[in-house]
Amino acid sequence: MRGMKYKKKKDEYLENWKRERASFLNYKKEEAERVGEFVKFANQGLILNILDILDNIYIAEKKLPKDLEKNEWVKGMLSIKNQILDFLEKQGIEEIKCLGKNFDPNFHEAVEMIENSSKSGIIIKEIKKGYLLHGKVIRPAKVKVAK
Amino acid sequence: MAKILGIDLGTTFSATAVMESGEPKIIENKEGGRTTPSVVALTKNGERLVGITARRQQITNPKNTIFSIKRLIGRRFSDAEIQKDKKLLPYEIKEASDGGVEIKMGDKWHKPAGISAMILQKLKQDVEEKIGQKITDAVITCPAYFDDSQRKATKVAGEIAGLNVKLVINEPTAAALAYGLFKTKGQQILVYDFGGGTFDVSVLDIRKDPDTVEVIGVGGDTHLGGDDFDQKIMEWIIQEFKKDQGIDLSQDQLALQRIKETAEKAKIELSTTMETEINLPFVTSDASGPKHLYLKLSRAKLEDLVKDYIDKSIDLVKEILKTAKLEPKDIEEIVLVGGQTRMPAIQEAVKNLFNKEANKSINPDEVVAMGAAIQAGIMGGEAKEVLLLDATPLSLGIETLGNVNTILIPKNTIYPTAKTQIFSTAADNQTSVEVHVLQGERPMAQDNKTLGRFMLDGIASAPRGLPQVEVSFDIDSNGILNVSAKDKATNKEQSIRIEGSIGMSKQEIEKMKKEAELHSEDDKKKRELIEARNLADNLIYSWDKTVRDTGDKIDQNLKKQVQEKIDELKKVKDKDNIEEIKSKTNDLSQTMQKAGAEIYKKTSEQKPKDEKNKDAEEGKFKEKK
Repeated sequence: MRGMKYKKKKDEYLENWKRERASFLNYKKEEAERVGEFVKFANQGLILNILDILDNIYIAEKKLPKDLEKNEWVKGMLSIKNQILDFLEKQGIEEIKCLGKNFDPNFHEAVEMIENSSKSGIIIKEIKKGYLLHGKVIRPAKVKVAK
Repeated sequence: MAKILGIDLGTTFSATAVMESGEPKIIENKEGGRTTPSVVALTKNGERLVGITARRQQITNPKNTIFSIKRLIGRRFSDAEIQKDKKLLPYEIKEASDGGVEIKMGDKWHKPAGISAMILQKLKQDVEEKIGQKITDAVITCPAYFDDSQRKATKVAGEIAGLNVKLVINEPTAAALAYGLFKTKGQQILVYDFGGGTFDVSVLDIRKDPDTVEVIGVGGDTHLGGDDFDQKIMEWIIQEFKKDQGIDLSQDQLALQRIKETAEKAKIELSTTMETEINLPFVTSDASGPKHLYLKLSRAKLEDLVKDYIDKSIDLVKEILKTAKLEPKDIEEIVLVGGQTRMPAIQEAVKNLFNKEANKSINPDEVVAMGAAIQAGIMGGEAKEVLLLDATPLSLGIETLGNVNTILIPKNTIYPTAKTQIFSTAADNQTSVEVHVLQGERPMAQDNKTLGRFMLDGIASAPRGLPQVEVSFDIDSNGILNVSAKDKATNKEQSIRIEGSIGMSKQEIEKMKKEAELHSEDDKKKRELIEARNLADNLIYSWDKTVRDTGDKIDQNLKKQVQEKIDELKKVKDKDNIEEIKSKTNDLSQTMQKAGAEIYKKTSEQKPKDEKNKDAEEGKFKEKK
């Protein structure tokens, strides 16, 4: 009888030990995955801050006076924008397409509804560009939608 | 065993947490957020959205986007609160046949519990997906002021979502639980919860019985929150720009959008910096051309802007204390909850009122969900027989060259554990080493406790740094330490078994820790000095060896120069001036490099030798690189 009791205890301990080993190995695996994911998105915060700056460059470009458009110096400045875009693309950044598309809250955030000749629910204006990092939305596009 | 989910079902945001190996852990939602907006919507295509996607489409679908449902749940339509809120809500509500509230979403009328259930369902699904386990049970939090009907409705919401609601627990109680404040009996705790849209204060009493937390005071303002702070900053930006440029931006939708974002960002930044820049180039334009908005906002200015709100919150705290017939000094612990409590001025105001620091180390947006998870863990009983593993209270190591304590097993290492490291000899033809086992944090061997010592002899004669002595530390589950040393060349081995050493008395451990702290500056200097000396010794040794091996290839003049530098170094080496030792070592090293270059040149001119130039070992019981 006592032997049975010890056998039961022994089995229980062995089982618990195996569980603990398994849970540790699983933890290691999960941790490795988590670190991989972490590395992939480690730059997210930094990139978001760069995107804020890029927004202002886009605004500056949009407000460029007509008579300066052909100016070589201005062209040079704007090529710096392309350099930033190129850099961001290499980091896995992709711009979310908006204009003329159906509003989709998975990618877009509506800031206003406007009466328009377009079909209701179509994006007619982009207020702020949205971006994906490795396919994940890190900033939704802010848009105006046709009523 | 199935996990019980802890849920903070908030007015604007919700969060979930589960216990993992005895610790509460926030579970991210499908979109990767640690909190989920408490918003539900029905799109024109009949698709139901919950969380961030529902919020993003709110403007396009205001009548069918339901938010702040917590303000309605379990209330009667005739309540003054409902009548007040009704005006602020863009969606339709009406009185239900039972006197409660009904909300219209799409063509259907829903009960508030039904809407809350949709939020809970998403939270549940996301957690199940994330942790790969089915969730059936949950603990949900609610404000301390919720009455029976509101609590019941919260429970019903959970049940509709397919959750067996084990308990509806008060938010302040959950927050206090997260800080482990119920471990000591006889306390009164104040929870100061400043969220995005609401401000709540609660006083908890656990004097009678820590298992039954009594709420002895509640209050606050259901329409005061962090969003008001953002609004104030926005107003200030608009006003400053008007003063400066004469242009009113409050009518410009696009500019307002940018100002709103920048205001929130500035507020967050000012919790960690003293000043921030608000920079919005091309914010607008007039006949004279583009206009830029550039302002500096200091922390002091921000505090000035929102002073009224902070004062109001403190007044509310005082009011509640008064109602509960308490003085600030009667409160033993204060807990800060809600994102706005990150603001230093708020922390300061609370500290000034109570004359003590509040608990604020846990993320204030997550602390309630964490507490709910802890409560869930308690109810689930986690594992019946918990495997308790201890950690080493102090570091364990051995003495190495220059009386240095070289740590093998750092303090707070969970055991059973083992660690092996290879050391070497400090002198040429050294045939024995002494292993001196130490316990403590101090860098110099003599300042630590000696646990034991033994000799390993019979090491084959060799130049210093060549023999490999493997030292192993092994602590078994009973805390018994086994130290062994083995010469890898001869396989000779010696060991020592040290019992009852790991578990020192608490006082002894505390004393040693305190001493280590007290002497840390001094100790660091001593250690640096010894390391500098060891480095100097090594350099001198390696020169001697070079001269012995390849002396014929070095120019006599250069040899003399190096010898001079060595003599100079030797003069200062055993004194305590670390800077001098370092600079003389550096001098020597540079002169030696010249010699090295010369040897190299001459060797390659002759014929490349097959022998690699081995790095000199750093000496007795220093780790091999």
